[in-house]
Amino acid sequence: MGWDRVRLFKRTKSSTIVLTGLTGSGKTVLFYQLRDGSSHQGTVTSMEPNEGTFILHSESSKKGKIKPVHLVDVPGHSRLRPKLDEFLPQAAGIVFVVDALEFLPNLRGVSEYLYDILTKASVVKRKVPVLICCNKADKVTAHSKEFIRKQLEKEIDKLRVSRSGISEADVANEFTLGIPGEAFSFSHCSNKVTIAESSGLTGEISQVEQFIREHVRP
Amino acid sequence: MLEQLLIFTRGGLILWTCKELGNALKGSPIDTLIRSCLLEERSGAASYNYDAPGAAYTLKWTFHNELGLVFVAVYQRILHLLYVDELLAMAKREFSEIYDPKRMNYNDFDETFRQLRKEAEARAEELKKSKHVGKPVIDGKKQGQVKKGGFEGGNKKKSEANDGGDGDTGKSYKLETGHSNGNHVNIEGSRAVVANSKENASSNVGAFDVSKLQKLRSKGGKKTDTVVNKGSNVHPKKKITKKNRVWDDSPQESKLDFTDPLEENGNENIEVVGTDHGESMMDKEEIISSDSEDESEEVGKESKPDTKKKGWFSSMFQSIAGKANLEKSDLEPALKALKDRLMTKNVAEEIAEKLCESVAASLEGKKQASFTRISSKVQAAMEEALVRILTPRRSIDILRDVHAAKEQRKPYVVVFVGVNGVGKSTNLAKVAYWLLQHEISVMMAACDTFRSGAVEQLRTHARRLQIPIFEKGYEKDPAIVAKEAIQEAARNGSDVVLVDTAGRMQDNEPLMRALSKLVYLNNPDLVLFVGEALVGNDAVDQLSKFNQKLADLSTSPNPRLIDGILLTKFDTIDDKVGAALSMVYISGAPVMFVGCGQSYTDLKKLNVKSIVKTLLK
Repeated sequence: MGWDRVRLFKRTKSSTIVLTGLTGSGKTVLFYQLRDGSSHQGTVTSMEPNEGTFILHSESSKKGKIKPVHLVDVPGHSRLRPKLDEFLPQAAGIVFVVDALEFLPNLRGVSEYLYDILTKASVVKRKVPVLICCNKADKVTAHSKEFIRKQLEKEIDKLRVSRSGISEADVANEFTLGIPGEAFSFSHCSNKVTIAESSGLTGEISQVEQFIREHVRP
Repeated sequence: MLEQLLIFTRGGLILWTCKELGNALKGSPIDTLIRSCLLEERSGAASYNYDAPGAAYTLKWTFHNELGLVFVAVYQRILHLLYVDELLAMAKREFSEIYDPKRMNYNDFDETFRQLRKEAEARAEELKKSKHVGKPVIDGKKQGQVKKGGFEGGNKKKSEANDGGDGDTGKSYKLETGHSNGNHVNIEGSRAVVANSKENASSNVGAFDVSKLQKLRSKGGKKTDTVVNKGSNVHPKKKITKKNRVWDDSPQESKLDFTDPLEENGNENIEVVGTDHGESMMDKEEIISSDSEDESEEVGKESKPDTKKKGWFSSMFQSIAGKANLEKSDLEPALKALKDRLMTKNVAEEIAEKLCESVAASLEGKKQASFTRISSKVQAAMEEALVRILTPRRSIDILRDVHAAKEQRKPYVVVFVGVNGVGKSTNLAKVAYWLLQHEISVMMAACDTFRSGAVEQLRTHARRLQIPIFEKGYEKDPAIVAKEAIQEAARNGSDVVLVDTAGRMQDNEPLMRALSKLVYLNNPDLVLFVGEALVGNDAVDQLSKFNQKLADLSTSPNPRLIDGILLTKFDTIDDKVGAALSMVYISGAPVMFVGCGQSYTDLKKLNVKSIVKTLLK
């Protein structure tokens, strides 16, 4: 009974990981892979976030005290974007899922969304680490993570220019990215941005799990 | 025969599909249903039609709001299956009994479903035999037309039904409420005065006295740029000269007369002075006034009439006890009150109706948490729905689009369309001014070759802003003028071409055809519909007809439709901001600009939160 009081004084570090990305990138499949090790019978466009606090499926056989992860899968549909703001303030890490297969047609949408996230106050001030996860890597025509990284850096560079032109009015972009005058690179961000590959359907999610474990320490 | 029946969670995980009906669905009907219908707050509609190459499906759905499940049935459109609604309801009942949030596999439901289906089919057969229900007449023409662009499902069919004559007595099974409402609105729209949906109308409809409600409501939270009409002040002393009317707090303009003196031979000796009016309001931050959100709730509860007291008391009791499931009858009074409130804010009647139905569909069957009033729950759901609708579906970053077009060395073409007198030319100049402030070179194209003075008006704007204008005078074919203007812009390196068109009524067939030809021939990057905020129910008609004509009269397989809305005269409406909602709901296009005054700087972005707040006040 008295131990509860002790726990109150201990600084609890957030264990929330937010899964986000454009609609159709594979977030819900990844969510269920991380939780259950399978994507069950498939998914459709999410209308609501999927939330859960659990131990990752791959670690369920491990012994010892493992801190459960609070995983949130936020719908990517543009009409539901405001939902993201509910979860970002408590995020310890963000997994930004990108469809590596249909990458080029969606390039603008992806880079704009990523730019919006990287310039939010709650992300910049708390230096939330971001993992850009190139999903659907099992497909033959999926792009490599290096290609995706370069393309995203180029697009965000352009966005910086056009967005800073309306920086005062655009209340959504609270901060600017990178170093003015130099081409943008993810290494310029004050928070750590890394890139990885995954495949939700086949279960190749080890890099994502590594990221999660790194930032939700037991 | 049913093609498929799916059960999935609102979070997107499929829980069960019928394995007997193994047919793979062509295209992606479920995802399209979610994106175009359920997330667009049209879940109150009866059904949804989906077309893919090689298949024409109709989808029906039902929700289990308490458990967060969605049940969808897909079948071929040419088969008018009568038992689908019943089957969905029964499946919902049976499934909710075996549902467990932790369970992912529901293979035992196969057997249950097979029985249910047999029962439903048998019952339908019996009904058919006993009633001799003839199959409703399938309008082949309608089917063909549904394929072309524009709106999803019910709306499109409704407007078509209106055009194709009102004699659709062979009532299509799918169109229910939408159809009759549409007819009704049409007649009303053409007769009604614009002021119809404002203060007066509510007294006819509401169950409670809305005018009383408005008096009780405090005046907090007015938009900061509302027009404040200050009368001319007292100066009775010497000569009473006419003072210029001051509309707001801006410093007085010294010179109002901008006509330049003409020389003898008619050529205007222009003194070209670059006008700089300061920063456009597009680039200024919007100051949102804060006001209490709870005050309206109290007021709403107070003004409920006495006859409802008994029902209110019992529901109050239940809300404390917190056990009842929300039934449609419980939601009705709160929804009706909301609908009336929306209509007093100048939201078109059928839009308010559809929204309320959609909110009802999402709340029905939910368990009522203790100590919450139904009205607050309904209000929260409606607020969420409104934010969802008004949030743009795609990026409205025009500057980004312009830069993208610049890279491809093409001019970015914007066409302004709308009915007469909404402010196309004025707002075109405002948009040009804003673009100029961001160092983008603009060119105007005067394709209003009909109205006297239209070309001169644009010429004056072009002179003041110091930008080139392409004009060919009057009585020329606007489509050709536009084409040549774009070629000229490509030649002289302008980044953006703003095309002004003549105002036209949505019912005027030859004019709409001409507009469609202009759009088809030039394939603009942005078709901007200019609508005034003062419009009432007619907004629905205008937008749907415009979109429909653009779709029908275009000869290309992918017709261009309205991409964005420019809302004008926003400073003249006090808090009756409903036109924005009606227009966005009916067309799906985002509001890209808001015109709020008559000078160059009066152009803003739409602030979704403040609009929703004003609508629900």
